[in-house]
Order: sequence, then structure tokens, then C-alpha cells
Amino acid sequence: MIDWEVFGAWLCAALVVWIYSFAYRDNVLYKLAEHMFLGAAAGYSIALALDSLNRVLIRPAITTPQTFWATSWHYIIPAVLGLLMLAKYSRKYYWLARYAVAVNIAVGTGLALRTVPIANIVRQITATILPLWGSDPVKTLNNWIMVLVTLGGLTYFLFTIFPRRVEGVPPSPTYWVYRALYYIGVYGMMVGFGALFANTIMTRVGFLISIYLIYLQPQAWASIAAAVLAAIAIILGALRKK
Amino acid sequence: MSSQISLGKVLESRELLYTLLLLAVILPILHPIGIPIEISARTRDVYNYIEQNLKPGCHVFVEVYYEVAARGELEPNLIALTKHLFDKGCKIVYSSLSAFGVVAFSLFKANAADLFANKEYGRDYVYFGYIAGGEAASASLAKSIKGTISVDNYGNRLEDLPLMKEVDKATDFDLVIIVSSGTDVFAYYVRQWHTPYGAPLLFVALSVIAPSVEPFVGAKQAIGMLVGQRAGAEYEVLVGRLGLGIASMDAQSTSHMLILAFIAVGNVVYWTKRLSSKRGGSR
Repeated sequence: MIDWEVFGAWLCAALVVWIYSFAYRDNVLYKLAEHMFLGAAAGYSIALALDSLNRVLIRPAITTPQTFWATSWHYIIPAVLGLLMLAKYSRKYYWLARYAVAVNIAVGTGLALRTVPIANIVRQITATILPLWGSDPVKTLNNWIMVLVTLGGLTYFLFTIFPRRVEGVPPSPTYWVYRALYYIGVYGMMVGFGALFANTIMTRVGFLISIYLIYLQPQAWASIAAAVLAAIAIILGALRKK
Repeated sequence: MSSQISLGKVLESRELLYTLLLLAVILPILHPIGIPIEISARTRDVYNYIEQNLKPGCHVFVEVYYEVAARGELEPNLIALTKHLFDKGCKIVYSSLSAFGVVAFSLFKANAADLFANKEYGRDYVYFGYIAGGEAASASLAKSIKGTISVDNYGNRLEDLPLMKEVDKATDFDLVIIVSSGTDVFAYYVRQWHTPYGAPLLFVALSVIAPSVEPFVGAKQAIGMLVGQRAGAEYEVLVGRLGLGIASMDAQSTSHMLILAFIAVGNVVYWTKRLSSKRGGSR
């Protein structure tokens, strides 16, 4: 009798090893794991979406029709719009999908625009208006860096008006201020990208550690067997290419 | 000569780095070193906020928005926060705007079974499951949960759950926690929960996502942010429930040291080659 839970854990460990085997070389087991993952993920998403539709709309409409029509009748509208999206697959009625897309975009834009100016513009600008003199030297330094790098970053992305240096004429003070802010912006962004890259490494290493702890270590023999199989697949693949 | 070339090729190969990285991850897990970790000010601020502002019986909304791959980075934070909130006597409403959040929630609940053992579903906590609609769904939930969905993840009617008689809209919650592996969902909650209703937000983000949502924290649109596995480990120490986060710290430290060493060696090799080619050119 197969214990499906154990089989699932072994399969899980093997698929993880085969996915990571791509770091060494593309191989048939990696491709198998990749296709299985994509298929399962797509199937799972569709199943969950249908389940959500069933829970929210279909089941209440059938089991408690009076309550549904009294309180939740408006769910019919997004359901109809969702069905219209499928019209894309018809050559004759594809235009119907445009209504669904138009409503979707309009609602999304309307909802976002309601608060975007405050949440993403005004609050971000006010957060950079900081006191540049104070009793705490570390805080003061941080505030200076924040203000200068923000101004520098904005200056770097000025594409329309900027002071130019004319041959034979000494540059104006505006030019030097512009150049200084430009370079502060460049170096500020480089530091930002560096921090982002370091965080990316941290996340990827974190994924590797947790995947090892959760899936590979508890099924050590399955992981080792999968790694040996992946090594054989890589060697056979390399030999076939030669 | 040929042996020199092959050695150089081996040293330059990415496979060597991957193998060493794998060893740097596996060896400290098999033989823990016990490198001490310090609680960062940011994690302590979040802990203190919950300690000082949340009273017994308070309500917390938790958005579970991550896929299984991000579990190791985010689940330690979610478990430690859940323990802290339950210890404070809070009632928690979980929800997912992502389809994969449902899997993440079931794995989280199985992994933190001890925390839910004495808690009653429907009275102490509720899980809505997957709610389709992205930002529109988020806005609708903020306005009225019962106006958005009528049943929870398990098919129970919301009006039959005692906890749902106490909360319905954004202003009913004392804290809103977003545990996400993506960037957009943080903006959804800032735009639809914080800006119109003033809901206090707490972000739990992947390390790679943190710089993108940092401006919201800097602008005080969130009360704080817990970043990645490291913050999870710190929070586990603070609440006294050690788990995956703290188990990962030795491996994190050794693998980061290895990567730092490779970056240093790479730079030395790069500058040596560049300087030697410049000298060759001038000759």
C-alpha cells in the first residue's frame, strides 16, 4: 500500500533538487520539474478562481436564492463581465471583451486615482521636507543625505532644461550646482541599487536555506537520490551534445 | 600550462560558487555554530508598538499574500506575530488577495498548530480565503467586508461567525498587517486602507522588496516593517518561540560571508587584470 503523504514528500524533495540542478546545467529532469510546476500552478490558480466564484456567487444563488437576490444580486455584474472576457476567443464576438476590459481599467484607475495623489505624491514629498539643523548630529546628517539625494535623483532625470557649458566661457554657478546635484543623484542611485542587489542575494539565499530546511533535510535520501539522478542527466546530456 | 588553464577555468566557473554556497548553507545547519544575533531597532519598534497599543480583545487584520517559495522568509514573521497577537488577547482576521495565499495560510496554520490549539475558529480568528479583484477587492473590504464577501474560506456564512459581528470595515481594526512577497499589495493597502481610513499598517516584506516599499514607512504611512528571515529570527527571540527563522541564521551568516569573500576576490582579480592591461598598453 503506498503512503501518499510520504510519496508526496519524496516527490517534493526530488522536484526541488531538479529545479535547482539548472544552476549547474540544463537537463531533462529540470525540464520535467519546470513543466510539472507550471502545469500544477496554472491548474491550481484556475481551480481556486472557480472555487472563489462558486463560494461567492453560484452556491449562495442556488442554496439561498432569496437572501442572494436581496443582498448580493450585484455579484451578477462582475460575473457577466468576467464571462465577456472569454469572448476574446471568438472571431465574431471578440469585441465584447472590450467592454469587460474597459470597465476593469476604469474601475481600477478610478479607485487608484482617488488616493494616489495623497498616498504616492504628497506624502512622499512631505516626507523629504526635513529639518537640516538640529541637536542630534546623526539625524541631521541623515536628513541632509535624504534631501540631497532626493534632489540629486530628480536632477539626474531632468531631460528638458539643464545648464550647458559653452566653449571658452567660464561656467555659471547654476551649472556647478546642477553638476554637483547630478553626481549626488548618480552616486545616490548607485548606493540604492547596491542595497537592492544585496537584499536580492539575501532573499535568494533565504529561499535556499528554507527550502533545504523544509523540504530537503527531512527527506535526505530522496534528495540525495534526486541529486544523483540529476547529475546523471547532466552528464548524459553533455555526452549527447558531443 | 594546460593544468593552469583548467584550474583557472574551475575557479572562474559559476558551478564552484554554487557548490560552495550549497555547502555554506548545509554545513551550519547540520553543525550549528550559534552565531549570536542582535535585535535591530526596527524589529524592537514593531514589538513595542504591539505591546503598547494593542489591548486584549483588539482586532487585527492580516493579509497573507505570498507563495510557497517565499515561505522561509515570511512565515517565521507571521508565526511570531501571530503568537504575539494571541498572547496579547487579540482577535485575528486573515485574508488573501492572492490565490497562493490559501496554500501559504494552510501551511502556516499546520506549522503553528500549537498557537491555534486553544483558539476557537470564528470567535478568535477567521480566514476569508482567496478574494479575487486585487486593489478593487482591497478597497471594497476596507469599506465593508460583509458587503464584499458573504462566506469564509470554509463556506461558513460571515454573519454566523461571532468575530464578524465585531468587525466589518477598515476603521474597526487596530492594526493591519500585510505579509507579502510582492510589491503592489503594500500600495493597495496604503491607498485603500491607510489614506482614506487611517488604518495603521505593518509591513512584512521580503528583503528584496523592502527597498521598494521603504518610502511608505519613511513617510509614516506604515507603523513599521519587518524585513525577511532576519527580522523573523529577531521576532522569534522577542516572543520566545524559536523556529525556522532562528534555525536559518547561521546558514545566512556563513553564506553571506562566502558571497562577500567572492565579491572581494572578484574585485581584486578585476582590478589586477585592468591594471596589468593598462601597463601592457603603455609599453
